[in-house]
Amino acid sequence: MNEFLEMGGYGKYLWPTFALGIGVVILNLVLALNSLAAAKQEARRRLEMPQ
Amino acid sequence: MATWTWFHRLASPPHVYAFARRWTPWFGGCAAVAIVVALYGGLVLAPADYQQKDAFRMVYVHAPTAWLSLMIYTTMAIAAAVGLIWRMKVAHAAAAACAPVGAWMTVAALGTGMLYGKPMWGTYWVWDPRLTAELVLLFLYFGYMGLRAGIEDPVKADKASAVLAVVGVINVPIIKFSVEWWNSLHQTATVMQMGKPKMDFDMLWPLLLMLLGFLLYFITVLLIRLRAELLRRERNASWVREVLA
Repeated sequence: MNEFLEMGGYGKYLWPTFALGIGVVILNLVLALNSLAAAKQEARRRLEMPQ
Repeated sequence: MATWTWFHRLASPPHVYAFARRWTPWFGGCAAVAIVVALYGGLVLAPADYQQKDAFRMVYVHAPTAWLSLMIYTTMAIAAAVGLIWRMKVAHAAAAACAPVGAWMTVAALGTGMLYGKPMWGTYWVWDPRLTAELVLLFLYFGYMGLRAGIEDPVKADKASAVLAVVGVINVPIIKFSVEWWNSLHQTATVMQMGKPKMDFDMLWPLLLMLLGFLLYFITVLLIRLRAELLRRERNASWVREVLA
């Protein structure tokens, strides 16, 4: 397991790389879902529909 | 005839909204499966590279983010051009939906590239043609979003930002071919080249699967953001009332 985490001595660069990439993927999904929820709420308010 | 029907449907906000809502879980599900399998393939199954050793595995994140940063900009520019030429509201909405995702992918491509560069080149950053052009891409995304945010009238914002998106697309081939036109520390194309890729199949399949996963992921996020954009744009349309009921 330790050997896998060390990645031949490149672990300190490799794991932050994967964390950044996957982090951006998750963040973008959350931001998009938040944006849709906000747009729905805003449209309901504008059309005077129940929240 | 069928083509025109399809084109007209593409221009209809309620049709596009319904399409996006129906297909988002499918694209999202396939993207998640592809990315997870590709991560396992890249981190566990693929053998270490004979030159870069285990450091080469960073390509499984760096290449898809970099590739997507260019593909999203191209998509944005095409959508913006369609919006300008045919005055199609949905196309402008699609272009606007692309920008934040593209900007984040560019940040990820630059960040992962810096982390990849340190052990390979001995430095996080050099003012190399490929790296500099990718940084310009980030500023183009910022410029596009800033311009939209700065103009209150949505029609004027659509037009002005679309012109910027279309003009800026010149940067895409500059990034792609920078490694061939100028001396660059960055390696030349490994997969996206004519003929046989330079990579062994055991290393290649996780990368291709990751590229597919990222593409499906982009479509998922684009469809979600497009729905949000359409709701904001369609002020008093009856279909908005129907979909929110």
